Amino acid sequence: MTAVTVAAAGRARPASPRVELRGVSKAFAGRRAPVEALGPLDLAVADGEFVVLVGPSGCGKTTLLNLVAGFEFPSAGEVLFDGRTVVGPGPDRVMIFQQPALFPWLNVLDNVAFPLLRDRTTSRRQRRARATEQLHRVHLDGFEDAFVHELSGGMKQRAALARALAAGPGVLLCDEPFGSLDALTRERLYAQLQELHGDTGATVLFVTHNTREAACLADRVIVLSARPARVKCVLEVGLPRPRDFYDPDVSRLAGRILAELRGELGESQGP
Amino acid sequence: MTRNRINVPPLAAATLAALGVLAVWQLIASLGVLPAYAFAPPRAVGERLLQLARDGSLGASLAASLVRMAYGFTLAAAAGLFIGLAMGVSATVGAGLRSLFLGLQMLPSAAWVPLALLLFGLRDAAITFVIVMSATPAMAIATADGIAHIPPELLRAARTLGASRLAMGTRVVLPAALPGIVTGIKLGWTLGWHGVVSAELIRSSVGLGFLLHAGRELSDAAQVLGIMAVTVVVGLLLDRLLFAWLERWVRSRWGFAPEAALA
Repeated sequence: MTAVTVAAAGRARPASPRVELRGVSKAFAGRRAPVEALGPLDLAVADGEFVVLVGPSGCGKTTLLNLVAGFEFPSAGEVLFDGRTVVGPGPDRVMIFQQPALFPWLNVLDNVAFPLLRDRTTSRRQRRARATEQLHRVHLDGFEDAFVHELSGGMKQRAALARALAAGPGVLLCDEPFGSLDALTRERLYAQLQELHGDTGATVLFVTHNTREAACLADRVIVLSARPARVKCVLEVGLPRPRDFYDPDVSRLAGRILAELRGELGESQGP
Repeated sequence: MTRNRINVPPLAAATLAALGVLAVWQLIASLGVLPAYAFAPPRAVGERLLQLARDGSLGASLAASLVRMAYGFTLAAAAGLFIGLAMGVSATVGAGLRSLFLGLQMLPSAAWVPLALLLFGLRDAAITFVIVMSATPAMAIATADGIAHIPPELLRAARTLGASRLAMGTRVVLPAALPGIVTGIKLGWTLGWHGVVSAELIRSSVGLGFLLHAGRELSDAAQVLGIMAVTVVVGLLLDRLLFAWLERWVRSRWGFAPEAALA
């Protein structure tokens, strides 16, 4: 398909990236020797781009997101957001986790309004109005006063998404956010996430090991190698949006990503 | 195969248990194997309590115990919460104080009384001291545990959403630790109640503990048993009255299953 173009590993750098990793590597202290978790690798995410990182499990995908979020720091190289070195977590780079991580002591609306508390100039009413708007975006109207435990898994994750968007992040970091949801719920969320991405023009860096999910969501798929993760190949996805999860083109691309991953794992294709 | 389980409402179950205790109590008294100065039937106990209520000594003693408890428990709760937060926030403080407090918890309330008398003499401060020393360690440990058990992703979510250091403390860590804090407060109430009665037993001229002690001095089994019952009932009632709303709040927010106790 012409919808997919393959760029050579490490190249394909946007002109003025929002997120940029330059020669980043990360090692953790091991019992005897340091364990190489990541890199060295280069990566750049352009404004409004939806980049999906795919790699074998344990390859260091989450570590990469943690570096951009500011939860961890690189052993070598530089992590930049809007040209500035990342020095810690902040609402300009909001992370969404596999668990919704909503605050049980707050109702749904107050959870979504939580990041708005930083701005001391807003009134409670303004914050509630803006939070209500975000809830509407993720189709959770009417659940403002619900407690967290009263929501289903998919609804929780949507509320978490609304809360993240309320922070007004420059980039949304998604660490397998749909990993623990059932298939039906997940497929509905793919549609909603694409819609949100279209509406808000959000920049997204999304980590998954689900190749079909990657094919369905990405402007660009970056296939990572086994640990320590390096950029193995970059697939530019030109498929029109919104994409259906079961679209044949999406399936074909997913197959392509899988082939790259299998190659990475050293498994033979075919019988 | 079907299993038939009869669901008895908690209140009915508790009432049944209380009636069972009364029946066994009456039975033992009716057997007549225990001398009258050592054991009294429920009816005698009720009459003795009525007498004590009429001559005003029960009311005065109850009031005295409750006032002491109000002082002691407030102090203990404030100290326990503050120390527990420090333990939860600083790993060094936590590790250092945890073993110390676990050790102190080995001491029964009554073991603090001699030291309290040496330090404070016959003043009420001695009793307050016993309450504080009995209740604070458990409350501090429960608070610290509450903080330690906060799911790490909640803290990470708050940080990535831009919570300041102050907001992390007041808007995230404190409310997230509430289940542990509530457990600690209730435990502290029980231990403080032990403390006040233990201290009054050994030194005082008014109070539930004093009435217990006086009952033994006078070989008045009815008074001893009656005051024991009053201590249990008042302690439980105040626990419900003061903390039930807190428990309900936590349960409704966190979605914990209601415990099978008096609601």
